[in-house]
Amino acid sequence: MRIDAYIAEYARKIPQNIALEEGKNSVSYSCLDNDINTIVLTLDDFKHCRFAILAESGMLYVKVLMAVYRSTNIAVPLPIEFPKFSLEKILYTAHINNIITTDTQYSRFGEDFFERFGTVIIISGSTSGEFLRKKIETEANNPELRLVLYTSGTTGTPKGVMLSDRNLIANAESIIKILRINSRDKGALVISPHHAFGNSIINSHLMAGSSVRIGNMNFIDSVFSLIGSDVSIFYGVPSTYRILLRYLERFRKDFSNVRTAASAGGGMDRSIVKEIRELAPDIEILPMYGQTEATARLAYLPAEDVDEFIDTIGKAIPGVILDVFDSEYRPVKPGITGELVATGDNIMLGYLDDEIATEKRIINGWLHTGDLAQKLPNGYIRLLGRKDDLLKIGDHRVNPREIERNIEENNEVSRVFVVPVHHELMGTAISLMVIPAEGTEIEKLFAFCRKSLPGYLCPREILFIDHLPLSENGKISNRSIIEEYKHVKASM
Amino acid sequence: MEQIKNDIVDYLKANSFMDNGSSLKDNDSLTQNGIIDSIGLLELMDYICEKYSIEIPEDMLTPENFDSLQGITNMITKLAK
Repeated sequence: MRIDAYIAEYARKIPQNIALEEGKNSVSYSCLDNDINTIVLTLDDFKHCRFAILAESGMLYVKVLMAVYRSTNIAVPLPIEFPKFSLEKILYTAHINNIITTDTQYSRFGEDFFERFGTVIIISGSTSGEFLRKKIETEANNPELRLVLYTSGTTGTPKGVMLSDRNLIANAESIIKILRINSRDKGALVISPHHAFGNSIINSHLMAGSSVRIGNMNFIDSVFSLIGSDVSIFYGVPSTYRILLRYLERFRKDFSNVRTAASAGGGMDRSIVKEIRELAPDIEILPMYGQTEATARLAYLPAEDVDEFIDTIGKAIPGVILDVFDSEYRPVKPGITGELVATGDNIMLGYLDDEIATEKRIINGWLHTGDLAQKLPNGYIRLLGRKDDLLKIGDHRVNPREIERNIEENNEVSRVFVVPVHHELMGTAISLMVIPAEGTEIEKLFAFCRKSLPGYLCPREILFIDHLPLSENGKISNRSIIEEYKHVKASM
Repeated sequence: MEQIKNDIVDYLKANSFMDNGSSLKDNDSLTQNGIIDSIGLLELMDYICEKYSIEIPEDMLTPENFDSLQGITNMITKLAK
């Protein structure tokens, strides 16, 4: 079955129930199903072709996504918070011939941006989509491929995670179970729908016949009003909660009817949990853990264990097996550090057009997460950092070495080092340590970062250094960079 | 009014949200044009509070008041009275 088939089923069984809400608008399952069918008519000549979707979050985005599924094509949502050249790099590596975009994004990105596509469809709330151009090309795609989500690619090589209908359905079913989503629930989608977490909110709520209220985090009053409008399950990354917790009284008021505060995308710390508990004592806090490579979710911490085990990711969601392996792919005993591995129907088909990267991540059917972990005696799992040097910045997974290379290649500078630093709202932000060259200007570096990287990667400060941040054994790593940074700050 | 608008544009340029050469119309959307994101908006808000010695109640943090130069300017004028 495909996700959109559930919508068709609910359009028959509970046609009047609300499926999506946005601002003052809402759409029932019956209307949603019709709207999807209307867009499908536009896409009908294409068979299993890749369609980039360049659209802001909203009901229209969900309709387009479901129409791509229903017309048996492949959806490639583009993360619109990425700068233009990152999107261009994704499009270049993903060989995408077709794009569906909204009026808003068409005028924002401009005519030139769309010239690379054979097919351009512009869609607005009131149309079924109009062809600016149409060119149908036969494509050789993995027969099971339905959705491609980009996990990185702000800098460096974009990695497109290939997901199948089976992946999407299996993960949504697990999420429905752990969150007990039923047709009376209303989920809040205020994070980006173009990434795994946001996408999983749409899938799980529509598969459960419940509704999704769509908004964003830009305007605090609007977010709280959204939460206060009978939302029963709120979803956020840790920084979402940090931002909302700046407004204590408003949090107390608008979260009073929310049954569950779910999180993913990064570890919730004790202080966030404590503050939520104080303001909304009856709320169920449900931290979850996952990866795009696993469609979205892998583990969750049952609500009753949040206070005692908040420093763990809890246990596997139904349908998933988690284990910790040593370097020879053998399970280790509790208390021994190894790599967290996972298997289940939610594990990706692989990376798009990148068999080498796929073979490194999926070995004998196990997804190797890259997260170092230990099993506890009760079976729960504690994470202990990354096997590689990837960082979580503002709850996004980034590769600091790629950011450094990108800044070095595009600026008058000798060397650049990314330092993870504490940030009140994002949890972790970055600063830069720079070995200057002739002509290095701090303002130009700031300007480059602001323009060429998403907002969460704009450096908090740029410090000049005069030597490489080497460790005792002469290597450069996150650890040696952080050590050097501490040293520089202490001597300032 | 013009002074406030100039201050905001200067802030956006100084913090590289905008290029020095580019211009912004009074009613252009800051978020839809990708000039600023949610964290950037909170930082802008903190800057405004400090610069104009005002407190912005959260029920004023709406698109009407915060998504354009004109909206921000009107809000500051109202609160600074």
